[in-house]
Amino acid sequence: MTIADRARGWLREPLLHFALIGLAIFALYGWRNPVDDDSRTITVTAPRVEALAANWAEAWQRPPTPAEIDALIRDDIKDEIYYREAVRLGLARDDDVVRKRMRNSMEFIATSQAEARAPTDAELQAWMDKDPARYRLPALLSFDQVYLGGARDGAAALTAKLRAGADPAMLGEHGTLPTSMDGADAEAIGSSFGDGFADAVAVLPVGQWSGPVESGLGWHLVRLRKVTPGQTPTLAMVRQRVENDWRADNRRRAEAAAYQALLDGYKIKIEKPGS
Amino acid sequence: MATKGAIAALPLLALVLTLAGCGDKAADKAKAEAEVTAKAEAASPYPLKPLWGDTHLHTANSSDAFALGARLGPEDALRFARGEAVTSSTGIKAQLERPLDFLVVSDHSDGLGAIKAIYDAPRLMLRDPTLRRWHDMMHEGPAGMQKAAGELITGFANKTLPASMMDPSKNAERTKTIWTDQNAIVERYNEPGKFTSFFGFEYTLMPDGNNLHRIVIMRDGKAQADKVVPFSSTVGTSVDQLWDYMDTYEKTTGGQILAIPHNSNVSNGLMFQLTQTDGKPMTAAYAARRAAHEPVVEITQIKGDSETHPFLSPNDEFAGFGQAGWELGNLSMTQLSTPSMYTGNYVRAALQHGLEIEAKTGVNPYKFGVIGSTDSHTALSTADENNFFGKHAGVEPSATRAMLPQSLGKAGRVGWQYLAGGYAAVWAKANTRAEIFDAMKRREVYASTGPRMTVRLFGGWDFAPADLQGDWVKAGYARGVPMGGDLKPAGKAGAPTFIVSALKDPIGANLDRVQIVKGWIDAKGATHEQVYDVVWSTPATRKPGANGKLPPVGDTVDLKTATYTNSIGAPTLQTVWTDPAFDPAQKAFYYVRVLEIPTPRWVAYDIVRYKAKVGPEVQLKSQERAYSAPIWYDPKA
Repeated sequence: MTIADRARGWLREPLLHFALIGLAIFALYGWRNPVDDDSRTITVTAPRVEALAANWAEAWQRPPTPAEIDALIRDDIKDEIYYREAVRLGLARDDDVVRKRMRNSMEFIATSQAEARAPTDAELQAWMDKDPARYRLPALLSFDQVYLGGARDGAAALTAKLRAGADPAMLGEHGTLPTSMDGADAEAIGSSFGDGFADAVAVLPVGQWSGPVESGLGWHLVRLRKVTPGQTPTLAMVRQRVENDWRADNRRRAEAAAYQALLDGYKIKIEKPGS
Repeated sequence: MATKGAIAALPLLALVLTLAGCGDKAADKAKAEAEVTAKAEAASPYPLKPLWGDTHLHTANSSDAFALGARLGPEDALRFARGEAVTSSTGIKAQLERPLDFLVVSDHSDGLGAIKAIYDAPRLMLRDPTLRRWHDMMHEGPAGMQKAAGELITGFANKTLPASMMDPSKNAERTKTIWTDQNAIVERYNEPGKFTSFFGFEYTLMPDGNNLHRIVIMRDGKAQADKVVPFSSTVGTSVDQLWDYMDTYEKTTGGQILAIPHNSNVSNGLMFQLTQTDGKPMTAAYAARRAAHEPVVEITQIKGDSETHPFLSPNDEFAGFGQAGWELGNLSMTQLSTPSMYTGNYVRAALQHGLEIEAKTGVNPYKFGVIGSTDSHTALSTADENNFFGKHAGVEPSATRAMLPQSLGKAGRVGWQYLAGGYAAVWAKANTRAEIFDAMKRREVYASTGPRMTVRLFGGWDFAPADLQGDWVKAGYARGVPMGGDLKPAGKAGAPTFIVSALKDPIGANLDRVQIVKGWIDAKGATHEQVYDVVWSTPATRKPGANGKLPPVGDTVDLKTATYTNSIGAPTLQTVWTDPAFDPAQKAFYYVRVLEIPTPRWVAYDIVRYKAKVGPEVQLKSQERAYSAPIWYDPKA
């Protein structure tokens, strides 16, 4: 077992996810403000001083002098005192910009880990089973066609020729469109012939030239060769698509769940004007 | 202690997640791609139908897009292009009527993700007063966001961005993370045979606001793409340096990469110069380098059309398409345009100057195919007039967007002047990265202003009308060359012949006419152009007049309902055309322009849907079109 295999094994362990994600959030956000906003004690910690110095160095492209560090600390204390007093006075509550920024930070935390999580096969199977129609493999058609152009004059004569064995690749407005399609689904047929053509072809008799059939381009004579009915796939057959859908949804769910968990802790009353 | 332990765990987390991404998936993808190609090759030795895509799309990872309100990222962009319904940044349900075959998510490399980072950053982390001010403005609401974006784009053009945004090592670090994250998503949506997603970015070179932007596209997989960081125009301040970067990419990864210039129309003459970028006369080596790195040019997109200008082509009555507003000045509107700049702004003139430079140096630097794309900044590739989601999130569908001023800097450009954008058509044998990229390299591509018309062009010496009775596609490849090619040496005396075929979009408008645009250079070195109507609808009743011009096809547009009918025009037009004025001593090129019948523009749909009020100057109809890559003739060949 390689290290990579082992790591993949660990990654399927949901408990580990929660532990790691919790750890990461704590690491990112926990250390910055471990104090109680109501406290009357301000401790400027060593990591905090390091962070202040690093930010300063980034702006000025040199480390701060001891006097500059002292000034940064004094300013940081001033920030902190005003911040706590403003919170006590409820100023943050009345400031839409502050509120929006806080919300943005919370949403960022909720979704930033979602992309990293790899789904299990069981999760994907369950996801697929929720909407089997979406993943059902479409019916596939194999057919030959002769394009008559915008008018269907002469369709009967051409049909007779084709039934007598004429080469379809040499008749009608040939060359502009594929003469044959093999195992094509409605989407692929639609991209060449327009909407509805696949449906019209699917009901033709198999093995003989018939039509004319109308498309977005005009009229066609068609010989349907084979219809492969749609089928329910195994996960392996559509895994990429299922996983993409699951991941896209997972991010939405992560955000919604984070919000719901918070929302559940609140009792909401709405008093509409006039009610 | 707990704090230190938690921080120490972060690299571990990153490592574990990186490992999870590796494995056999890359090998599986390569195998799938090879199988798809083999199957297509077995079915036909040449491409049977064009693939449609957008090579130029921005998401929230582009700083300007984000600042203007885009909140949809690469994943939304890929899902949308693949045909899924998504919710736009302004909350509108968006879906394509038909999926695309391929997409290049091409976010600006400059400050990739930077604005999003400024927006998301805890304010404490922003020490730079400008960044902090932008952060505050963005959070104030849409007006503040637009103002911040304007300042950012101007600051970028004038090189007055805050130092921390210009620091190459810091940018590289941030870019690397966003790039590899994005690549993981791009890789997940690449599905050989069904949908191709390329790794790419936009190199946004813009000296004094003159647009020299390029889209850069890689042929390869995630392993190669992850080895590099998108090249920034704050690092490489001339296109020569971009080519150096591309050379390095190919050398270090063993992969392949190409660049696609765009919006030459707002370059104030710099995109297609007669000289090198340093102002010296162009050498053969320089010309060869440009042609090798830039085999394709984006000729049409939301910010106007770059085929030609009425000043350059006074005899071409269809030359004014997509010029309103865009002809006024450079991209930032900090410098107005003068007619003397136009020869460097437009593709048809560039193709002619390519012949001129070739006559002097022996190499044609401007031997390129053409494609269309959107340059949409909404993560939504919407080039259809009836489903246009705007240039950026600030002009997603609404009653007012058509009349909103859109200029950066000086006043001048207005919302309605945006085109709905174009798409790229590629004659690839299979829907894979390799096949599509290789078709671009051999220039077997064409541009559309949106409708998915099928356009074929073959050039040879012995094509005759009777060929159309037989398998002319096979004959075209066997006895001639397809679009993008060089005419084979003439076996005997006579003029070159061309098989031309155009088929309407299966869910779109009928065709008005097919034209061949010829450009050439005479013995004195002067360049010329001529537009020929070669086949058109209802030829029995439409005859060229005394001035040689065909009467217009007519107009079925009903502006009250924003509809048209296909009661005029033709669904398909084909002919074999022989150059009537061929001089075997003159270098020349030939490309096809296909015109649809008139249809409503996106503004006309806005008027019906949203009761939009617009001024009398606003264009409400247009004849959409396709441009093929040229075929070249060289007497020395």
